[in-house]
Amino acid sequence: MNEAYPTFDIAEEDQSRAQVYALLGRLLTKAPDSDLLATLSRLEGDDSELGQALAALSAAARRMEPQRIADEFQEVMVGVTRGEVVPFASYYLTGFLHSKPLANLRGDMAKLGIAHTEGVPEPEDHIGSLCEMMAGLITGAFDAAADLAEQRRFFNAHVVTWAPRFFADLEAAKSAAFYMPVGKLGRTFIDIETQAFALISAEQAA
Amino acid sequence: MSEQKKTPTSPTRREFFKTAGLGAAAGVAAGLVSEPAPAKAATDTQPTGQGYRETDHVKRYYELSKF
Repeated sequence: MNEAYPTFDIAEEDQSRAQVYALLGRLLTKAPDSDLLATLSRLEGDDSELGQALAALSAAARRMEPQRIADEFQEVMVGVTRGEVVPFASYYLTGFLHSKPLANLRGDMAKLGIAHTEGVPEPEDHIGSLCEMMAGLITGAFDAAADLAEQRRFFNAHVVTWAPRFFADLEAAKSAAFYMPVGKLGRTFIDIETQAFALISAEQAA
Repeated sequence: MSEQKKTPTSPTRREFFKTAGLGAAAGVAAGLVSEPAPAKAATDTQPTGQGYRETDHVKRYYELSKF
């Protein structure tokens, strides 16, 4: 399970995009274990806003105990009745879980051949699942890689409609210390994606 | 989605991502993206004899690599 990734015939920047989505997906679905924290500790950011977010995440990974981060994940993302943030599209868009946005997403998942992972109790419109799906569309984990037009369609339909607000909320969540830079990374990255998709629209129109 | 197609990428787009600092994330997260899940589609197409073809439920489990 180690070598297959780079064999995909996708552009370098698209591999990077897939990796950021995968990282976000991983961090938003469960608390990082010590191996992942060790990896994150080695991150270096550059001067860009995204780089700054990565550097902050790396610092948090170095500084914090895995158990504390696990507790924080529970508090921020899950909660007893609900966490400090509610990471579902339906909630953000309609105020209710399991509503229309979830149904729309399921429709698109069926078309794209994406199945819900068995044993995962959360509905599919969880932010972490959406990040995983974006990663999969880019790398072709589901089928042949989806082209940019398809990625853009999915992104516009299911991600950009609410993810910026979610990530801003995550960044500002009361207990978020480790998850603050995760929120910042997500917010910055989604903004970059939005601009990059707009760029291809503009180029096509030209 | 059809057969393998290499996403045509524009230099502008590539440059844009580079400036945005995306490269910094690339190294670390590399191990996070695993090979595509066994992507053999168990296509159980069941025509529903009503002049209406039910969507194929393509089962494909995707999973990020476990750390």
